[in-house]
Amino acid sequence: MTRGVPREVAIAGLGMTEMSLRPGRTPLQLAVEAARSALADAGIEQRAIDGLLVGSSQGVRPDRLGVAFAAQGGFSDLRLLEHIEIKGATTIAMVQRAQLAIETGAATTVMCVFADAPLVAGKGAGSTYAHSGGNAGVRGLERASGVLGSVPTYALLARRWLHTTGADEADLCAVVTTARAWALGNPAAVVRTPLDDRGYYDSPMVSDPLRRLDCARPVNGAVAVIVSGDPSVGEAARLTVRGIGRDHPIRHRRAGGESWFGGGRRAVDLALDQAGMSRADLDMAQLYDPFSVVTLMLLDEYGLTGVQPVSDFVRGGGIGPGGALPTNTGGGQLSGFYLQGMTPLAEAIVQLRGAGGERQVPDAATALVGGIGGRVDHHAALILERAA
Amino acid sequence: MTTALDLDWLLNPSLAPDVADDTLAPLYTAASYGQLALPFCADCATPADLDQRVCDICGSARTLWRTVQLTGTVHSVTVMHRREPGLVRTGAPYPILDVELTSGHRLIMTSRESADTAFRIGDPVAIRFRSLGGVAIPAAIPAPPASSPANESTAHSISEECP
Repeated sequence: MTRGVPREVAIAGLGMTEMSLRPGRTPLQLAVEAARSALADAGIEQRAIDGLLVGSSQGVRPDRLGVAFAAQGGFSDLRLLEHIEIKGATTIAMVQRAQLAIETGAATTVMCVFADAPLVAGKGAGSTYAHSGGNAGVRGLERASGVLGSVPTYALLARRWLHTTGADEADLCAVVTTARAWALGNPAAVVRTPLDDRGYYDSPMVSDPLRRLDCARPVNGAVAVIVSGDPSVGEAARLTVRGIGRDHPIRHRRAGGESWFGGGRRAVDLALDQAGMSRADLDMAQLYDPFSVVTLMLLDEYGLTGVQPVSDFVRGGGIGPGGALPTNTGGGQLSGFYLQGMTPLAEAIVQLRGAGGERQVPDAATALVGGIGGRVDHHAALILERAA
Repeated sequence: MTTALDLDWLLNPSLAPDVADDTLAPLYTAASYGQLALPFCADCATPADLDQRVCDICGSARTLWRTVQLTGTVHSVTVMHRREPGLVRTGAPYPILDVELTSGHRLIMTSRESADTAFRIGDPVAIRFRSLGGVAIPAAIPAPPASSPANESTAHSISEECP
């Protein structure tokens, strides 16, 4: 190996646990299973891993996965070990960290593991999130004003977005029913019953305009991804990391302006520049969609609907099966499963490997993977390509 | 401090904010006197986020909390239908507003009265206070037709924080 010569960095292994709506295993147990599964998928021994990146939500339980996983998970002799945390942009940040380490020779084969288990016995997900957040600081004041859980915050964003763009709840409905249509073909999706417009409008309102079906489905689960510069690792199914971009617009909450909108396009532009591609080269998009409105907003802000307004694009089937830009093809976080930034990354890997079964996008060779964090404060974009 | 007469219409007192040593202590202190205090850059007067410590415009690390006018307009609003048992007391959906204050800040709040649910984006509002577990919390009411002189800004500092 020659230092200073950039090596082709590829995603060479994928391991996933069951995505479970039932409480049970701890984040550590889930991470162990995903890691072992990824090693088997890549066809390598654990000692071939010389870098380990771990991620977990800040979320709701004290035993979140951390760097102790290196010892707990049986790793040894690592040259890279970090806990990456940038909220919903974490998984793309992990791939980027791995890429930089590999390109500079700091590591050769890096495992990225994300595990979460927000669902605990005796409580629904909504209740668990409503009770978390504490009584201190800004969050304490917001909670004392009735902002319980994350839905009302995104409901405020959604109301503002609908107000400024002229979009309406029929657009939210189109996103939700399209995600469900995709989920029907995904055995890993947690909701796989057909959904029509009527079913959407019958869904109970949580915080208007967001109904229960506009919200992601948190699961207990883990995903591990192996990133390697060694062409012999996972050679049967390597996906080249073509470009990664980040954007952290750092906005402030002030009167007379927007604090949620207008970010992220730069992350996509940077990733495309690095890849030498244009938006027309993208065969699919896997976007972070914790709430239906975010899919609309990101399609718009990332410039992914061409000359069409996002409402027309989505209502016209542009993101569905057979559409111009199949999006969130496993049902996304709405109908598939919410495992933070691993949801869109795992789906892109499955699709580009041609392993999508009933939901496979024909001839898909490139994918844009998106991640957002916080209150749309952080954006990350990754472009993957199936090796020719 | 909390008595039966002191119960908030919306929330269980267990959600009362920590006040002692909290980063928002100047806000709670002013609120207990019926005033709204918010942070500004002490050097260029830019409105600061509630937890901002360095000004993004001029780089100053000096923050000045001062009382501001009790008026604003609705930046966004939602009506919360999900009412978490044990935390939410009201039996009906309740509003959550993101208010653009005349001072230049934005502040999340609910309404002063449970009956006020008809807020829309762009509506003028006035700021009053709820009492939650003995802590005064900013809350909105539909703006009265004419502004009251009592609501005018006062320029004096009520607390100053220097590094």
